[in-house]
Amino acid sequence: MLRRLFKDFHPSLVFAVVGLAAIGMFFIYSASFHDPGHYEVKQIFWIAIGLMIMITVAYTGYRPFLSMAYLFYGFSIALLILVHLIGSTHLGAQRWLRFGPVVIQPSEFAKLGTLLALVNYLGTRNPLQGQFSVILGAVAIVAVPLVLIIKQPDLGTALLFIPMLAVVFFLWGIQWRFLIISALGVLAAMPFVWEMLKDYQKKRILVFLNPNLDPLGSGYTAVQSKIAVGSGELFGKGYLSGTQTQLHFVPEHHTDFIFCVIGEELGFIGSLLVLCLYAYLFHSIFAIMEHTTDIRAKLLSGGVLALFLGHVLINIGMTIGLMPIAGVPLPLISYGGSSFVMNSIALGLVLSVYKERSIF
Amino acid sequence: MRFSRFYFLQIIVMGILGVLALSLFHVQVLRGYYYRGLSIRNHIRLIPMESSRGRVFDCQGRLLATNRASYDVVAIPEDVTPEVYPRLAKLLGMKEKDVRQRMSAGREYPFAPAVIKPDIPRELAFTIEERKPELPGVTIRVSGIRYYPYAETASHVIGYIGAINAAEYEKSDRDRFGINSTVGRAGIEKYFDEDLRGWRGGEQIEVDARGRMIRVLSTRPPEPGRDLTLTLDLELQRRIMEMIKGQRASIAIMDLESEGLLAMASAPAYDPNIFVSPSASHQRLSVLTDVDSPMLDRSIGASYPPGSIFKLVTALAALDLGKITPQTRFFCNSKFKVGKSGRIARCWFESGHGSINLYEAIERSCNVYFYNVAMRLSPDEIAKYAHELGLGEPMKLEISRLTPGLIPDSAWKKARFRQPWYQGETLNMAIGQGYVLVTPLEILRLTAIIAKNGRFVEPHLVRREEDSVTNPDRVSIREQNLDVIKRAMLKVVESDYGTGQLARVDFDQLAAKTGTAQAPPKKAHSWMTGFFPYKEPKIAFVVFVERGGSGGITSARIAKQMLEVWRELHAPKTV
Repeated sequence: MLRRLFKDFHPSLVFAVVGLAAIGMFFIYSASFHDPGHYEVKQIFWIAIGLMIMITVAYTGYRPFLSMAYLFYGFSIALLILVHLIGSTHLGAQRWLRFGPVVIQPSEFAKLGTLLALVNYLGTRNPLQGQFSVILGAVAIVAVPLVLIIKQPDLGTALLFIPMLAVVFFLWGIQWRFLIISALGVLAAMPFVWEMLKDYQKKRILVFLNPNLDPLGSGYTAVQSKIAVGSGELFGKGYLSGTQTQLHFVPEHHTDFIFCVIGEELGFIGSLLVLCLYAYLFHSIFAIMEHTTDIRAKLLSGGVLALFLGHVLINIGMTIGLMPIAGVPLPLISYGGSSFVMNSIALGLVLSVYKERSIF
Repeated sequence: MRFSRFYFLQIIVMGILGVLALSLFHVQVLRGYYYRGLSIRNHIRLIPMESSRGRVFDCQGRLLATNRASYDVVAIPEDVTPEVYPRLAKLLGMKEKDVRQRMSAGREYPFAPAVIKPDIPRELAFTIEERKPELPGVTIRVSGIRYYPYAETASHVIGYIGAINAAEYEKSDRDRFGINSTVGRAGIEKYFDEDLRGWRGGEQIEVDARGRMIRVLSTRPPEPGRDLTLTLDLELQRRIMEMIKGQRASIAIMDLESEGLLAMASAPAYDPNIFVSPSASHQRLSVLTDVDSPMLDRSIGASYPPGSIFKLVTALAALDLGKITPQTRFFCNSKFKVGKSGRIARCWFESGHGSINLYEAIERSCNVYFYNVAMRLSPDEIAKYAHELGLGEPMKLEISRLTPGLIPDSAWKKARFRQPWYQGETLNMAIGQGYVLVTPLEILRLTAIIAKNGRFVEPHLVRREEDSVTNPDRVSIREQNLDVIKRAMLKVVESDYGTGQLARVDFDQLAAKTGTAQAPPKKAHSWMTGFFPYKEPKIAFVVFVERGGSGGITSARIAKQMLEVWRELHAPKTV
């Protein structure tokens, strides 16, 4: 039975997932043990739920998900519209839906719903038989949730759709000229997106370009998180001993800024450990992609990988001033049920690709 | 095609992770030391603790300068809610706009309290404490503030303190000065600032992002400054200040045994407390712009013509150089023809003094006698003796900004006016007019030297433990000549012809010399200096009244009152 399990589940991917989740649990504790929330206990619960969901999805296989892709897509669009109407506002943004005790973040579901719809749409169309209209269709599929999420406003999450779309297009076999035209199109859309942004978002981007613009206002978080990570130096200040995070100089340190805790308390060694685990995860996904001949499976795995990479790049990048401050969690590490469950579903789909490699 | 695209993607993904790793290496390893420093500064804060300034006592142990509690209204702007502003403004009698302005004034670090109003009355401080629940973020901080209990009485001696300025702070020692430190600005406060100051202490505390204290990391208690005891007698000083109230005058009294000053009064004076209390700015302004210059210490900070008092110097020079003897007689018919020009110089006594010797000349302060003496002296000879007796010479008094007087001589005149010295100027110099300028304290030192038979005297204000060690230096004037002068000074008061008889007291003999220094166009300056009692002198004094008229009237009357007060307070009680 156990051997069967190992045969079915790509061991290095599972190892990477468990490793990252464990790091997350330890540092959620470090970030919040002063507070009464018991977030690490809640996270253990979410990790358990997530792993069960991952296994379930892996056994279910990706095909049923793809066949219901438009249903998921429509559902997540509906949730995004709902969040505009009745969503609860937190930190100036409408991102959450509350159903009794359960609070969900529809944009998390929209990422996966959109990916499934996109993969299903492109996977059934041959890139060698006229690309232009197909590309327009794919862009439209992505554009609807993208605009809704920008409107929330949640610029960080919205940004993640772009690398996802690019990778899926790329693997599908988009012609270089269309890829370049799309890239130009994205650039051309920038001024319009800028107009849609709220003032605080514009300020964040301006401050990102010049952190000295407002060191005590919106630049404060950027400066403090960089100090936190940098002050870890090579070996860190020791577990539970980070002053920047323990003394609340960095906000949101069990969710979006958890990397500050790791960087400060474990230093560059810890940062490298986290990056290596992500690299290992991505390497596993690539390995799985190599063994499938189903174009849809390949596109799906590539899209999942792009989503993960986008999260990692924006999240770690913002703590060291490489990216503007955005409310994007660090996948599998940051505290949060919606995020962990969605990541589990996504990785479950990738695992099912591996499991079904023997089908051909 | 697809195969190569797949590898291309792998390279991009790993490349992005590589860029992240390199950036982290840059921030954490290459720049880590810098950020470590920033994080330490973030969460470790130094809270300075000011040392209490040393106190100043008079010779009887009465407090001249001390520290009292000041109640300051402070607020942590981050904790203040909007409805606090109007309430606080009403309580403090300030404009709401000003309260807001104080609240947003520059502070050293976030969550540091801003001073809204310093030094409020005690009752108001209690009211604010009671109403604390409706004033979130507002507290009363108690700090030490300098206090001079006797206000104007000895203001010029004690001086005052003021806030340190930016330039001074920059180059000062952090263990001793903080950004809010005070510095002695005048008098004893300035001269002994180093001793009075003490050493600051501080606490190193760890704070969180809200600025709340987590724990104390280390503490160093401040060391209070050293106390000082002055030679001044507060009661004597106070009574003397009353005598010269409303005039521009100066009186100094020296104890001849210890050479310490028992009193050093200058009127008008100022209340040094106005320099401490930040709210007294209009009072400070009026003191600084007053035409009577209350800030000026007339006993050391300004020089005046000495008038006839200088005749003591001229007489000593002529005696010591053998140009005259005490019995040398000159005839005074109130007129004296100067050199070839034929200009007439006059004696103040219009009917003339007749034929008089040196004793009578000093006793009656005859100008013509000293014109004749001056004919036998060069200006440089007079100047030499003036310097020998301490005139125009720097003083070692423990107060900064002493202005020495001026003793002219031929070289000075040449340098100053590019002109030779005229003989008429020697005549003027001999009677203490012309270019000669002295400070009252220089005259006091001169009198003390005469009283102590030529022993050199250096007046001081801070009591010394080694009081008995007197200065062994002597002036190079023969003691017998000093004795002649002393006897002449006795006659100034005790003789019925003497110019200083109004100062005569019934309990002992006073020796003195008056001076009425012409300073046209206004009234003359009035002088009297002397020592008391004539036999075994205990004190020397100088009385100076700016534009006071005749020395024999204005100053002599004050001198008499002063001696009576001194006797009441100091003389051994003989029934």
